[in-house]
Amino acid sequence: MKAQEFQEAAGCTDEVLSTAHNCRHYAMCKVDFLGNGVCASGPQRGFVAFYPQGHMDLYAALRDGGAPVTSGALAVADSCDLCGKCDHQCYFVTELRPTRVMRALKEHLAAYLQAGGRVESEAEDPVLARIREIVGDQWATNDRAIAVTYSHDPSPIAVPKLPAYVVLPGSAEEVASLLRLFKETGIPWTARGNGSNILGFELGEGAIIDLNRMREMSFDEKNWSVRVGPGVSAFELQSAAVARGFRVHVAEPAALVLASIMCSGILSLFATSYGTSAEGVLDARFVAPDGSTFSMNQKQGPNLFAFAPAPQTTPGICVSADLKLHPKTDDEEGALIPCSTLAAGLELSRELAQRRIGFAVGVLGIEYVASFMAPTQELANQAKQVFGERLGMACLVLVLGDRYAMGSLKQMGHPLIDQRLFRTLNLGLPHLASAPWLDLLTQLALDEPFGYLKAEGFAELAETALAPSPQRLARAVHPELREFHEKLYARPELTDLVWLNMFRITSSRIGREKHFFPILLYLPLEAGLIEELCARFQAIAQSRGIKHEVGFLAPIDSGKRCIFEYDYYVDQCDAGEIERVREAVGAVAAVIDEVGARTGTLRWMRYVLYQGFCRMENLLYTEVPRG
Amino acid sequence: MRRFLKSAGKSESPLSLLFQRGEREAACSAAGNRHAQAKFVLTGATGFLGSHLMAELLRRGHAVLALGRSAGGSTLQERIARQLDWFGLQPASEQLQCVEADLLKPHLGLAPAAYRALCRPATFVHLASDTRFAAANRAASLATNVGSLAAVLDFARDCSAPFFHYVSTAYVFPAESALCREEPVALGEFANIYEESKARAELEVISRCRDLALPYSILRPSIVYGDCQTGRSNSFTALYHHVKALELIRDIYLNDLTNQGGAKSRLSGIERAPDGTLKLPLRIVLPRKGHLNLIPIDFFLAATLQILSAPRPDTIYHLTSRTPSTMEELASFCENFLGIEGIEICYGAEPGNWRPNPAEALFNKLIEPYRPYLSDTRSFDSANLDAVAPEIVAPTLSYPIFERCMRYAVEVNWGATHRNGSGFPVR
Ligand SMILES: Cc1cc2nc3c(=O)[nH]c(=O)nc-3n(C[C@H](O)[C@H](O)[C@H](O)COP(=O)(O)OP(=O)(O)OC[C@H]3O[C@@H](n4cnc5c(N)ncnc54)[C@H](O)[C@@H]3O)c2cc1C
Ligand SMILES: NC(=O)c1ccc[n+]([C@@H]2O[C@H](COP(=O)([O-])OP(=O)(O)OC[C@H]3O[C@@H](n4cnc5c(N)ncnc54)[C@H](OP(=O)(O)O)[C@@H]3O)[C@@H](O)[C@H]2O)c1
Ligand code: SF4
Repeated sequence: MKAQEFQEAAGCTDEVLSTAHNCRHYAMCKVDFLGNGVCASGPQRGFVAFYPQGHMDLYAALRDGGAPVTSGALAVADSCDLCGKCDHQCYFVTELRPTRVMRALKEHLAAYLQAGGRVESEAEDPVLARIREIVGDQWATNDRAIAVTYSHDPSPIAVPKLPAYVVLPGSAEEVASLLRLFKETGIPWTARGNGSNILGFELGEGAIIDLNRMREMSFDEKNWSVRVGPGVSAFELQSAAVARGFRVHVAEPAALVLASIMCSGILSLFATSYGTSAEGVLDARFVAPDGSTFSMNQKQGPNLFAFAPAPQTTPGICVSADLKLHPKTDDEEGALIPCSTLAAGLELSRELAQRRIGFAVGVLGIEYVASFMAPTQELANQAKQVFGERLGMACLVLVLGDRYAMGSLKQMGHPLIDQRLFRTLNLGLPHLASAPWLDLLTQLALDEPFGYLKAEGFAELAETALAPSPQRLARAVHPELREFHEKLYARPELTDLVWLNMFRITSSRIGREKHFFPILLYLPLEAGLIEELCARFQAIAQSRGIKHEVGFLAPIDSGKRCIFEYDYYVDQCDAGEIERVREAVGAVAAVIDEVGARTGTLRWMRYVLYQGFCRMENLLYTEVPRG
Repeated sequence: MRRFLKSAGKSESPLSLLFQRGEREAACSAAGNRHAQAKFVLTGATGFLGSHLMAELLRRGHAVLALGRSAGGSTLQERIARQLDWFGLQPASEQLQCVEADLLKPHLGLAPAAYRALCRPATFVHLASDTRFAAANRAASLATNVGSLAAVLDFARDCSAPFFHYVSTAYVFPAESALCREEPVALGEFANIYEESKARAELEVISRCRDLALPYSILRPSIVYGDCQTGRSNSFTALYHHVKALELIRDIYLNDLTNQGGAKSRLSGIERAPDGTLKLPLRIVLPRKGHLNLIPIDFFLAATLQILSAPRPDTIYHLTSRTPSTMEELASFCENFLGIEGIEICYGAEPGNWRPNPAEALFNKLIEPYRPYLSDTRSFDSANLDAVAPEIVAPTLSYPIFERCMRYAVEVNWGATHRNGSGFPVR
């Protein structure tokens, strides 16, 4: 029986397959970011295949002929109880509804079996047997239906690789034994967190070492430190820290914290005060590729503090790290300052960092802000049009700070969207484009851009015009998910700039319309240089018909340097577009190399891979040979 | 309604009389009317006053060279064609030449040959101006309003221009002046950078024109609104700006009362009367009682054309109203027109316990830059204008004129849509 026939038997539509193909692989369904629990089978079974993301990949692979029906496939299908939680999670980020895919997966396999289809089993494998001796039978597999869910990552431009084995070690000792085994057998291995690095760095054809089981998290408050295993996600760690009155410096909620550091240092607006790379790390322990162990704070160990502007190989697997805890105050707030040019936003962010106003500062592109705020793409498009075209915002500078920082900000005289107004705009998004309100803003901005934000009573008027409420916002989402969204948006944190930036649960909405490819650089916070790069990245994208936008920028080290992201967008199901983006990335690399050689001050993220534990100053300032 | 032309009938526009006279004169003898075929160089032709002047000059058969710039992806030519389309004009290419020029650069930023080719005798009317008030635009305002004179006057010299007309503003006098005469102004205190730059520009025009032995005139209009006969306008700033803001504020509260239960409105004492009127308590706080000097565009045009047709060297003209409006009158016009009540004009300092409702706070913020003009006590002598155009008088802004103008503005959605549904040529 052919796949096509199963599909018909199971009553599948191509819309379901399209949902499966469109899984963004941001792993948001692996963390309980909405507080309604995650798919139960995932944490029990560990392998990605048992999370909604894996179900989506498996279904697509079965339909496309990319994986056989195996016992693993049947176990995956059986494990799903169609609880629907993943619909809430996935819709929140991508507007996709994976439950339909889960149902289709079950029906597809049932039809296959009913039609007498054969369940394939993998051949006896002595290496797998030895792996299982180390980690236990249930934590290692060579089942292709499971392995296929490790073959992609969010980057549609990375070439998929099907691993031979997937292993989930439970301790540093098991990691060490595995690396010794792989060295002995010559099997290449790749460490994997949640596979969301966007650049294909965690794919490999040998063994994938999925670190999700190593979830140690122990706080040492008197030393302002938390010990974290490599399986702890940013969301989990931040939640635990906040519950104890601290804050940690982490990035994407679904990213495993140690993977983030290893991969890129932590790129976030909090880098303004917390720095990046080794700046947030007190100590870290590694298993080297030969199975030996070392720590960062060991005199004779490898020098992870050094940085070289060239591709590196992995120093090993980070099996735990002691990270800094940061204090919080109870008067923290956020504000957004609109700017009519990118240069003005850059200058303001530099000034804020230099004056140390705010503990997190960033320049956000309009696409970012609109995507983050809007629960649907349609609303995001509207918000982008309103902020960008109607109100003339080129970017917004986000500042998080205590009441003194907010006071300074007001004293500086910038028109700003404070926390109250942000909540109003967010919950009133469906009315944002309404004519009288917008025209009034335009009127009020004639003499001073965004001058209305300084008018007393503006927030009140905005509340009257936009009638913000969770119910109002929820009306924009799919009718079946309205009730859930109403309750969700009634929670104050969902519109709290500080909370949203600490937990970042909306940031992966940036890939909702299309997946994105980030061009990430550490460089001086100089408007001229950044504008030159933007213009060149823009030209490369435009000539190839690629959607492109300024992403974000965060000042670091008192505004002397910054992290800068420019994004290309790519439809992961459009082979032509993927090819064009690949080509564009080649052109971007040439620009970065050229400008880097000219200035000696650019650090491209691709070289930070495996060097994310380096000393921040080495990363930002050490002399790079000029061309 | 007071008429422009003391002798003209109510329905007759002063302009139509002038046209008739122009046509009559042209018909009598081309040689007898030395301006009928005269050529004009205009700057600011994409603006409110400039577009009206350009259209009238073209209608009268003059050749016009418009110096300006491209904007919003449209060339100058396209922008001007859109403007003229609004006037129902499609001049022949030999009658209208549009040249994209940078007024801030020597030789207008043109290549030498292109510049030389333009240097032909023509009367200059310089209207281009940065009309923003905000101090943040200081550098740009000074550059456009004063800096540009260097290149424009050089060009006038190179064209052997017979006359240079500079369009200034009546508000080059300090706010405290009582009677403002049609004389050169001294630099003093200014309400904003616009006034300051226009005053500086006047001094520059006078001094450079004297150096160049170039006869000049300075036209000082007060605040211009649409055509008092037809209500038409292609610009909706100044007076319109405030009426539109009130309309928008009204709509926000009407929507709140109609569709959202109106809790927010009631909190500010805003409600709907049984007859549908919106009770909108809105106090406008002004430092003192005064008036607003408003003139219609057709008056500006009639007066300007008269000045151009019989230019007197080195003369300053006030194009102002002898019967300026009070804020109380304007407030009642707005209430009437918008179906609201509750606008109250308060004089003096804001009371210590002043807790404005959001509508008041916003409206007061909106009028902030215009405050000096809303309680103005200056009056303008217009002896020079009276001498050249004794019959042309600015009408009092009556409710029918106000209503006509605002109705037109609402019809075209304050410039967002043309009556025929297409885009509007406003800038
Ligand atoms: C929508 C979206 C937005 C993002 N925005 C940001 C951002 O703003 N800031 C930011 O910093 N990142 C951002 N990222 C990137 C991503 O969060 C990080 O790259 C992070 O590393 C991914 O974590 P992961 O657990 O998925 O790691 P993976 O992708 O699984 O692994 C990343 C790399 O680290 C290696 N690795 C993993 N764990 C270990 C370990 N314990 N020891 C040694 N090597 C290891 C892997 O081999 C791989 O090379 C974003 C990603 C997405 C999808
Ligand atoms: N309207 C009034 O109520 C009023 C009252 C008193 C005096 N005035 C005076 O009348 C004149 C015209 O006013 P308006 O109401 O017609 O103004 P407007 O509608 O704002 O038009 C201004 C004109 O100046 C041009 N301009 C502005 N900056 C320029 C620059 N840097 N280079 C070249 N051109 C530039 C504009 O060109 P773009 O279209 O390319 O921007 C436009 O053509 C001004 O001198 C003003 O001071 C007006
Ligand atoms: S949240 Fe949705 S799109 Fe994201 S990984 Fe999970 S199933 Fe895929």
